[in-house]
Amino acid sequence: MSDHGARPDGVRHDEPAVTWRRDFPYTAEGEDTVTRREFTRYLALASGAFAISNVGVAAWALARDVPEGEPQRIVALGDVPVGGTHLFRYPHDDEPAILIRTGEDAVVAWSQKCTHLGCVVFYEAEEELLECPCHEGFFDVHTGRVVSGPPERPLPLIELEIRDGDVWAVGYEVPGPLESR
Amino acid sequence: MNGDGARPVRRRERTVSSAVAVYIIVLLGLQIFLLTVALDALLSYNPGMAWVSALFSVLLATGSAFFYRYLRR
Repeated sequence: MSDHGARPDGVRHDEPAVTWRRDFPYTAEGEDTVTRREFTRYLALASGAFAISNVGVAAWALARDVPEGEPQRIVALGDVPVGGTHLFRYPHDDEPAILIRTGEDAVVAWSQKCTHLGCVVFYEAEEELLECPCHEGFFDVHTGRVVSGPPERPLPLIELEIRDGDVWAVGYEVPGPLESR
Repeated sequence: MNGDGARPVRRRERTVSSAVAVYIIVLLGLQIFLLTVALDALLSYNPGMAWVSALFSVLLATGSAFFYRYLRR
């Protein structure tokens, strides 16, 4: 028994053309009736969605402040050997950081989050480089700048002070947009 | 009289609609790239770059809408 009242997409002639039933047919014949014009319409809608998302990301970037970081005691200088490292969290608990004692009185600290895709970097003492194992990105331990690999931005700097033999983190500095390789 | 003349018109309409779809797909590809630029700007605390990316993305979306409206005529 055939249903002469139904169109290939399952919508009956005597039923109102409901948009969702027209756009999402439940018969195989209905699925074959997508025209180029309809396809182009959805492409244009997707384009609009991307533009809206981009504006949302830009608004989020505007609202996002660079973390300032409160002064915080990190470690006693004597607890870190020359060429050794100390891991800590700064300026927030979700921001890993690495302190490297590069000399008797020289210490540097950088964000441990690779600027490529956020993997954790570790210190290669022999080469004096910070290495990201995910995609072989390398940063100079003294300047934080990218030496090689896919990262495009240097590591954020953690400003340090030595007070009575203790190392204190006193600030967080994100490199400017023109400070790249 | 059947329109043999109708065939070239239909063929041209199909060509135009296919061309418009290709144009919009290219614009979509550019918008995906711009979105990655905006996300990188977000992570590097660089709102200026993010807004430039958003501006161009809006322009491309406007172009897509223009192409689609042209197709509907």
